[in-house]
Amino acid sequence: MKKGIYRKLALSGIRKNSRLYLPYILTCAGTVMMCYIISFLSQSSEFGKIPGGNTVQGFLSVGIGVMAVFSLIFLFYTNSFLIRRRKKELGLYNILGLGKRNLAAVLAAETLTVALVSIAGGLLSGILFSKLSELCLVRILGGSAKFTFTVSYASVVMTAVQFAGIFLVIYLYTLLQIRLTNPIGLLKSESTGEKPPKANWIGAIIGILILGAAYYTALSVEDPVTAITVFFFAVVMVIIATYLLFISGSVTLCRILQKNKRYYYKTNHFVSVSSMAYRMKRNGAGLASICILCTMVLVMISSTVCLYAGKEDSLRQRYPRNINLDAAVSSTALLDGPQTERVKQIIEETASENGASPENILEYGCAAFGGVIEGEKIIYDSSVYENRLDKMDEVWQIFIVSLDDYNRLMGQNETLSSGETLIYTTKEVPYDNNTIRIGDGETLTVKKRVNDFADNGVDSMQIFPTLYLFVPDFDAVVNPIAGARSDDDIGLVSLHWYYGFDLDCADDTQIEIQNRITEKTAELEKTDEEFSYFHMITEGVAKERADFYGLYGGLFFLGILLGLVFISAAVLIIYYKQISEGYEDQSRFEIMRKVGMTKREIQGSINSQVLTVFFMPLIASGIHLAFAFPIIRKMLMIFGLVNLPFLVAATAVCYLIFAAFYLVVYRATSRSYYRLVSGMRNDNL
Amino acid sequence: MSILEVDAVKKIYTTRFGGNPVQALSNVSFKVEEGEYVAIMGESGSGKTTLLNILAALDRPTAGNIRLDGRELSGIKESQMAAFRRDNLGFVFQEFNLLDTFSLEDNIYLPLVLAGKSPSEMKSRLEPIAEQLHITKLLKKYPYEVSGGQKQRAAVARALITSPRLILADEPTGALDSKSTDELLCMFEEINRKGQTILMVTHSVKAASHAGRVLFIKDGEVYHQIYRGSCTENEFYQKISDTLTVLAAGGERL
Repeated sequence: MKKGIYRKLALSGIRKNSRLYLPYILTCAGTVMMCYIISFLSQSSEFGKIPGGNTVQGFLSVGIGVMAVFSLIFLFYTNSFLIRRRKKELGLYNILGLGKRNLAAVLAAETLTVALVSIAGGLLSGILFSKLSELCLVRILGGSAKFTFTVSYASVVMTAVQFAGIFLVIYLYTLLQIRLTNPIGLLKSESTGEKPPKANWIGAIIGILILGAAYYTALSVEDPVTAITVFFFAVVMVIIATYLLFISGSVTLCRILQKNKRYYYKTNHFVSVSSMAYRMKRNGAGLASICILCTMVLVMISSTVCLYAGKEDSLRQRYPRNINLDAAVSSTALLDGPQTERVKQIIEETASENGASPENILEYGCAAFGGVIEGEKIIYDSSVYENRLDKMDEVWQIFIVSLDDYNRLMGQNETLSSGETLIYTTKEVPYDNNTIRIGDGETLTVKKRVNDFADNGVDSMQIFPTLYLFVPDFDAVVNPIAGARSDDDIGLVSLHWYYGFDLDCADDTQIEIQNRITEKTAELEKTDEEFSYFHMITEGVAKERADFYGLYGGLFFLGILLGLVFISAAVLIIYYKQISEGYEDQSRFEIMRKVGMTKREIQGSINSQVLTVFFMPLIASGIHLAFAFPIIRKMLMIFGLVNLPFLVAATAVCYLIFAAFYLVVYRATSRSYYRLVSGMRNDNL
Repeated sequence: MSILEVDAVKKIYTTRFGGNPVQALSNVSFKVEEGEYVAIMGESGSGKTTLLNILAALDRPTAGNIRLDGRELSGIKESQMAAFRRDNLGFVFQEFNLLDTFSLEDNIYLPLVLAGKSPSEMKSRLEPIAEQLHITKLLKKYPYEVSGGQKQRAAVARALITSPRLILADEPTGALDSKSTDELLCMFEEINRKGQTILMVTHSVKAASHAGRVLFIKDGEVYHQIYRGSCTENEFYQKISDTLTVLAAGGERL
């Protein structure tokens, strides 16, 4: 046989099935492009130099792995769609005298063509768009970049090799499929009869129960620590429930509707309900996958958008003032001793040397320790809870602050008598008892719960909630426990003096001031004996901003990027669904018309089915997202995002944009569906 | 009065790319009386299917008139056509055309549901028909679970359930084995004996020999017709075969 014939057959095969192959090639190219861009960005040394760039590159290298696994699964899946549709053609070739060996050659030529076109196209567009995405990313990080254009050969080679491997695997799998079927099987594979689906009550009920349990879990989470631990389980439960409900729940629902004769035997419902049962049996799994993909995209995008958009908020939470000085001291006396005055003086001097003056000053002393609260007792011996996973969600960060400081900082005028306390808890975790006791000390009566206190950065650094105790007689409460040490002779309770202030000068100057203060305080600790128990750490917003933006911006960028990839995956699955259903519905359409349905009636019924099938995943993912919201919010709290209306708005906007996008896809794909279905003779109707 | 009058019907297909027009029917005229059982015979490409599609109002003639119960088909509005077809015509196809998503019962109900009948009325209509066609026990099954003959009986039930003026059958035995063919043809005869008018298109001599009259179509025209009269089935079979032989030999008009 002539050699050229394989290539010719392959090319004509692709051209004749362009409705199937074009989207496939585009997706392949798109996936190649994404992989190249991610790989390019994660390796670009120029990008690494940008403040925060390193952090982002760390995320991106995780992204490479995710993309590799995803592209393998995804391309595999779409290819199986293609092969199923083309088996008839291959069977015909087989009968006409092409042996399996020749078929393999045709398929090889075909795969090679698709691989070459999509890898080349993908790399080319990847190289073109890599600069654009780099600029976007730099902008997200708030830096500036040069407009030099570079191509990373390492990334080109890596991406090309990766996809060559994927295509090889796909090709081998296709061969296996061809080898396993005989020509008659190949010819008929599209029209094998199917049993009518049966209502699967058990599956449906289990699905409902699991979903209910997952939703209940999500809603009942109180603290961020639990949120993190149960999130994974809730996700797995939702995934299982979604599959069960889409596959068996929907069929069961159709069967219930069919039992109701008054409902079922109506023109609008009759055809729709019975064909829905069939459709759902076939497409349940696919639709569930789409639903889960959508939910993943939504959760990922909405949470990274929240993080990114709220980054100044969380930065401010973490660093309440432009510059924050935290001194760990050894006794309560040092909290308002001469040392604090010295330090304030140094800060004042340093600021004015740089032409700035501290303002909006936040100063207070406190005792800090970690502990587990059991009943009304705070157990602060760390050996009780350290390395104990089961105690993780009971751990608190405790701060004791004097009532005077509270009144001064919050502009309040609360009064307490000895043995009374005000409490304030963060991360929305309540403390419900009316009394509280630190270790074996005196029992304090909770006189009032207040809703706010100055941030000190510690709370937003850790996943545990914080409990503030505001007491009138600070020294009396703190002194008995101040010297407590663990079995390993580590101090359990630390005393802190906070001094934070804002500066009305540029970031560069702020960093300069911060550096000078750090130098001077270090000098002081080394040379002055008075400061041997007065250890100071200075932190500043300006200096940390780049890292912060790198972290949040990187997550945001990766979220958007992976979101795009997942969305296009969902889109392609939907498209192929429409196409393959179109082929099936053609004959059904024809019969209904002959039996006496008008074209309008048929279209109405088909339309409602397609619409239901199409929008069910979107609606289900919306519901999933709504129930996931509380748990996501708890987790975002760890990042210092507590602005509820903002989170709701951001999530809702994400959902709406997503829905709009989904609608556009629906429009585009349903058109090709109708073109297929109305391929029947309709000239005279 | 004739139930169906076909008067000088002509159908010319023009291909989409403006190629040569193809004349499928050149000049077809005939009448079907109430209660008649008429078979139309002809070879592949003789225009049988075109004629049936036109009679079924699935296609429109290029020229000529068709009257069902004295009502001009071309005078019926597009929007009412489906309802008209549903109420007046029953169809039986070679490939059964049952929807695989429905049980046999629901397949049979389909035209009634479209006509907006109540569940109780549908049930009372179905019972005698199912009894007559021996499918009462099969009603809950799905098309894929039953044999070809059983499928075709369900399709006949679907055609009968609207009590149509005319049943149009397109090669109803084409996809059946000989035993099922015999059964189905007997049923057609029985239905016809009860007064149902049937028009069947076929190229099976056996199927045609059950009819009361056979029309032969050749090159888009009604070429000849013979009546069964008092012949037995076998004699009529012989007569039809003879006619076909003459037709195939290209003989002159008989």
